[in-house]
Amino acid sequence: MTRVQLERVVAERWAGGVTCRRDEARSVTELTCAPAQLAELCGALSGEWGYVFAGLVVEEGEDAWELRYAFLDGRPSGWAHVLLRRPLDERNVPSVAAVVHAADWHEREAEDLFGLTFEGHPALGDFVLHDDAWQEGVEPMRHAFPADTPMAERRPNREWRPRRIVHAPGSFVMPIGPVFAGMAESVHLHLETVGEDVIRAFPRLFYKYRGVEKIAEGRKVDEALLLAERFSATTAFAHGLAFAHAVETVCATDVPPRARILRVFIAELERLRHHAEAIAGICSSTGLAVAASQAGIIEEDLLRASGALAQHRYLFGLAVPGGLARDLDDDACSTALGRARDAVHDLDRLWGMLRLTSSFVDRLEEVGLISETDARSHGLVGPIARASGIARDLRLAQPYDAYGSLAVFPALEHEGDGYARLRVLFTECYHALRLMEQAHAALEPGPVHTAPEMRAGAAFGAVEAPRGAAFHWVRLDGAGTVLRYRVVPPSFVNWHGFHLAVEDFAFQDLPIILATLDLSVAENDR
Amino acid sequence: MSKWVVRGLRTGIRSTAYPDAPELAEGVSPGRPLPGAYPRDVVASLAARCPTGALIDRGDRLDVDVGRCVHCYRCARDDYPVGWSRDYEWATLADTRGGALRSAFGGSLHVLVVDAGDCGACLHEVEHLNNPYYNMHRLGFFLTPTPRHADVLVVVGPVSDQMRVPLLKTYEAMPQPKRVVAVGACALSGSVFGPSFVSGAGVGDVLPVDVEVPGQPPPPLAVLHGLLVAVGRASPAELTAAGTPAAVSATQPADGVPAGARRAGGSSSR
Amino acid sequence: MTTAAFWTAVFVALCLAGAVAALALPDKRSPRVVAWFGGAAGLVLAALGIAALTASSPWHAVLWTIPGMGVLTVRTDPLAGVFLAVTGVVFLAGSIFAYGALPRLARRYPMRGYALMHLLLLLAVAWVLVAGDVFSFMVAWEIMSILLYLLVMYEHEKEDSRRAAYLMLAVSEAGALAAVLGLLLLAAHAGSLDFARIQATSAGLAGGLRLAVFLLTFFGFGVKAGLVPVNVWLPRAYAAAPAAFTPVLAGATLNLGLYGILRVDADLAPPTTAGPGLVALVVGAITALVGILYATTEDDLKTLLAHSSIENAGIITSALGAGLVFGAAGLHGLAAMGLLVALYHLVNHSLYKTLLYIGTGAVEERAGARHLDRLGGLIRLMPWTALAMLVGVLSIAAMPPFNGFVSEWLTLQTMLRSAELASVGVKVVFALSGAALALTAALAVTCFAKVFAMGFLGVTRSEEAERARETGASGLAPMAILAVLCLLLGVLPTYTIVSIDRAVSPVAGASAAEQLVPPFFAGAAGHEGLPPSFVSDFHDLGAQVGQHVMPGPGLVMLHRGGEANPVVFGASPSYMIAVLALLLGLLFLVVRLTVGRGRSLERREVWAGGIRRLLPEMTYTATGFANPVRVIFQAIFRPTVVADTRETVAEHFREAIRRDAATVYVVDRLVLTPSKRGALAVARTLARLHHGRLNAYLAYLLIALVLVLAIFAFR
Repeated sequence: MTRVQLERVVAERWAGGVTCRRDEARSVTELTCAPAQLAELCGALSGEWGYVFAGLVVEEGEDAWELRYAFLDGRPSGWAHVLLRRPLDERNVPSVAAVVHAADWHEREAEDLFGLTFEGHPALGDFVLHDDAWQEGVEPMRHAFPADTPMAERRPNREWRPRRIVHAPGSFVMPIGPVFAGMAESVHLHLETVGEDVIRAFPRLFYKYRGVEKIAEGRKVDEALLLAERFSATTAFAHGLAFAHAVETVCATDVPPRARILRVFIAELERLRHHAEAIAGICSSTGLAVAASQAGIIEEDLLRASGALAQHRYLFGLAVPGGLARDLDDDACSTALGRARDAVHDLDRLWGMLRLTSSFVDRLEEVGLISETDARSHGLVGPIARASGIARDLRLAQPYDAYGSLAVFPALEHEGDGYARLRVLFTECYHALRLMEQAHAALEPGPVHTAPEMRAGAAFGAVEAPRGAAFHWVRLDGAGTVLRYRVVPPSFVNWHGFHLAVEDFAFQDLPIILATLDLSVAENDR
Repeated sequence: MSKWVVRGLRTGIRSTAYPDAPELAEGVSPGRPLPGAYPRDVVASLAARCPTGALIDRGDRLDVDVGRCVHCYRCARDDYPVGWSRDYEWATLADTRGGALRSAFGGSLHVLVVDAGDCGACLHEVEHLNNPYYNMHRLGFFLTPTPRHADVLVVVGPVSDQMRVPLLKTYEAMPQPKRVVAVGACALSGSVFGPSFVSGAGVGDVLPVDVEVPGQPPPPLAVLHGLLVAVGRASPAELTAAGTPAAVSATQPADGVPAGARRAGGSSSR
Repeated sequence: MTTAAFWTAVFVALCLAGAVAALALPDKRSPRVVAWFGGAAGLVLAALGIAALTASSPWHAVLWTIPGMGVLTVRTDPLAGVFLAVTGVVFLAGSIFAYGALPRLARRYPMRGYALMHLLLLLAVAWVLVAGDVFSFMVAWEIMSILLYLLVMYEHEKEDSRRAAYLMLAVSEAGALAAVLGLLLLAAHAGSLDFARIQATSAGLAGGLRLAVFLLTFFGFGVKAGLVPVNVWLPRAYAAAPAAFTPVLAGATLNLGLYGILRVDADLAPPTTAGPGLVALVVGAITALVGILYATTEDDLKTLLAHSSIENAGIITSALGAGLVFGAAGLHGLAAMGLLVALYHLVNHSLYKTLLYIGTGAVEERAGARHLDRLGGLIRLMPWTALAMLVGVLSIAAMPPFNGFVSEWLTLQTMLRSAELASVGVKVVFALSGAALALTAALAVTCFAKVFAMGFLGVTRSEEAERARETGASGLAPMAILAVLCLLLGVLPTYTIVSIDRAVSPVAGASAAEQLVPPFFAGAAGHEGLPPSFVSDFHDLGAQVGQHVMPGPGLVMLHRGGEANPVVFGASPSYMIAVLALLLGLLFLVVRLTVGRGRSLERREVWAGGIRRLLPEMTYTATGFANPVRVIFQAIFRPTVVADTRETVAEHFREAIRRDAATVYVVDRLVLTPSKRGALAVARTLARLHHGRLNAYLAYLLIALVLVLAIFAFR
């Protein structure tokens, strides 16, 4: 539905209770409501009208809390933000997790970091700040808490017990991590089991919480850009780009066309390299050593291609608000494109061999199933959502940079198992190459940077990162200082759906399922 | 299965010749800024430009603390003539009582990698040591999942608050002799996450560090150099700002030409 | 022989005096009565048994003559001697343990009755074993059954105990009925109730009658022995019996059923065809497998050990069956081997099962729980009990150098000897049974690894268990005695084989010891049947080490196939343990000398992935450990109720997932429930006759009268 239709429907349903405000430039419709209508409105947006929940931004104003529930739809409708304002001393907010299950973890994070209570949410607490490491009552995201409060020595809370749900004789909680498997990221998994199958999986994340959102407050835009690139450096360019988009939207900067096309080129190169790494991870998790080596060679080739093109293997220092930090000459781009072609050729050959290796396919087929309904209700994004039949891609839904003028083909599978996710990864590799080819063909000489004029305001920057849709919310003051920085990375959303894939499968399948889900803990923990 | 064997054989040997010979391929290292002598105003503006204080204003000399460099490349853009090197042997020995491990470990070293809050890049660069290009097994380095078997503890990340206790427990679970290698700018100084309420200022505040490998992230070859330094098979680099100019080793491709001048015919205008 | 009579009189006097003392003395003296009188009587009984074993001729005595019924005789032959010795040791250990365990009963029940029945039971069991004729056998048997019922039901306020004891009594009586029928058939054929007469005339039994006798006595005595179709009572009764009684129950009374089978089916009326032996073999193998499967997946220690007793009874029966088949085929040496193996395993089982049950009783008392999911970490809190239990666990899992290894090895070797039989069908049955026994052995290792690991190692899982202290001397002393015996019987198997052979060779007609234990120490003279080159090879391997130190045959067990099967298997746990001790000692010395005392041992926390605290609920449970077995053998377990309710809040937040998988004992499902249903159906049909109409009842009387007259008219 279009924005106009949305306003009309809202006015009909909650006459007077919900006020609308349209921002055409950013295609945002802000719906301000009262607590009593919050759940109903959010439920209607996500259920009836087909919007997708993008994130919850909590901001502590001078005298009021502002909670912004951001919903996103395709081209004609754009964004719908539901705003709820509460006085600062009132900490109770109704929970929408019952109607919009994707908001579950957003509310838990807000409770831990801001001290808000979401009434009706059955499982608050012990999320970002672990109860057995932090005492109650610390609210780090509030303005009154300085970011450089020194890390105090804490004693573990001896009364803490893991939350148990399974009631069966002999059930126990198998703890995995935080240090495990030689070289995986630090995450703690609680798998409740009676010995063979995982009955319930409960990830304890945020061991790597570095407080990026808090540190960014008070920094200038170019310092905050460093944070945006570096909190999850395996997709550094995508996050840097999302931050740049947010600042550009706030400052209404026009990015030059050459920069827009180069951004597409570099982003697709990053996507190609990231997917090669994910494929290598899947091959090594199933123990197919030669395939893992082949994929490893392809990934290293792409890293070296990125390093030769942009100096840094992970593409640091390229995305800036207003365009690119420096130009890339056409010859370098052609060389990089040639290397990408070689890489995709090797990937294609690898895929041809993998497809016919039954012992490999058997370990992926029907393992780690996520049904389409579950994926939709949890709001999953990225390749794993596309493997479960959810055809959402920000490059098509809300085209940014030069994607609007290029042909983007989304990958889509329906089975939702590990094999479907692998197929999506390979398909997206082929499509990434096609986009690079199109971008390279469309390159015209020109400037690559327009200096943004700092303005006060706030906006979302959205990018289809290799792991899924990433949203960065930036609020600036007039002097270019960041007042609030909120990141909704794709891994945060997808970790929420982790338990769907793992439950009711055997222990031996866990590493394989983790590899096919390609979740990043650093990206989730920020 | 035979098709895999054939494919593997046809791929051949891709391992780098390092450490016997320098690795000359493009894109193996993000490089580092070189110290040098410049006019005073240039030095001042360069030092001001660096967001983490890696470039130090010493009047008419620019000194570089590579441990703080976060590879933002602001000093390497066209307008600024900082010298840039493409080398990768960056590991140094911290002045703790450890020193390199005995030669008995030189050809058989077991490494445990602990992620103390890193962004993923350093961890992946360490992971790449197992791919055919770098192949650390040929040097006798192995990864182990348990600290009971580990000789060297590689730590990446600034040590986030909630990873302090697991990191300490891992260190205590390792038997003697053991060494700690801190990999990455975050592990050395906390980088842009700095000391904060949840993030530390590097591994040095938590564990005694023996070898430091700067970079964000250090390329796999730099990590390899760090491991070789830990067992005494390679000599450490002198890269930290100590008032002495850093010598570029003869075994590495040194590129002292300013980065801006390399791009001939580049269409770039601001 | 008067010495034997004297000591028998002493034994009887001790039991009766103990019974009188139990009645006369106040309640709080009862543990002492049991310990002293029971222990002394047990010791005397054990000595009597060993004397009977080594006696050159069986001892025979007449008790008294009942006019019209016959003569009550007492006869001790070496076979009975083995059982007497074992019973004596078990009662010795059990009585000492009861000293410490009885006071727990005293909180709710009087102890005098227990002490009285304990001593009378000893007397009754001994009488069963020495009875020389059918009448005294059955009288003793019934007295023993009733005493068992009363003792199992001693905690009569608990419903479980009452029901379990009642079931035990009912099934036991049905079994006794079948066994009596079989014995009476034999007696009818022989024309006398005396065992000696029966044995002399049993060769003339017709084939059908012989088979009927076999089936009746096999399954009749099989009830007490715990064989599969008829052992519905065993798991429940063992679990319900009071902790002071279970060691005796498991160690002594299981043997009575096996004694009955051995006595009747191997001694008095041995089969002439392979059929009965094969039945015993197959039933034994199935029993063993079912027993160990349920033991592996069981969480409660007492029930677990009960199922393990079933398993061991199955192994003994299989070996017995193999012996019977060999005997029927005329291979008397192998028949002797089968019987010897069965007896050896029986002795071993009594020793280690009693040991395990005493340990379980001690743990239950001190740690307050007998479910493995509530124990753990007891090796730190109860180290000596843990050590004794470790010996028991290693023995029952058939690990060298303990006794279980010897009997398990010999059992499987005997199964392999079926290659010398002629019939292919028989050989197939042997192969399948042997495979089942091998699977049983592997599952037994799993089961008892679980018992020791979950019960004694790791993290303590409940607060009660954290407060456990070491058990007293009354618990440790019997465990020590039994543990030492387990070790001795494992380290000196050759002497044990020679001893048990004395019981077996009169029954089977050949000596097994000559085949199993070649006299390597005896020099060239004792080598009939062994080629000199063979002997010298073994001497080169060191088979005569210890020749001048140890008496007798030598320390190597040997299993040589015949001409059709020229293989040799040798084992010597004695040499094994000696070499092991030597090597470990050398290693210790070398390490101490080279590494020196400078190296200190550092004790660090267990590595658990760096989590902040390893909680008990994060460690593996016994149920989880055994879950793969439960899943693989689902067809047998058939979990009937799996309630997997997921109560959710708001559709996605799950509050609880419940899984209640109740497994039903397969014998209950296949035997008890159908019999109950059948009995009830019959009763219901018959109940139609009870309609209360007087006229119909008079008509019944009339019909009955007419029938009786008709029968007598046509006789």
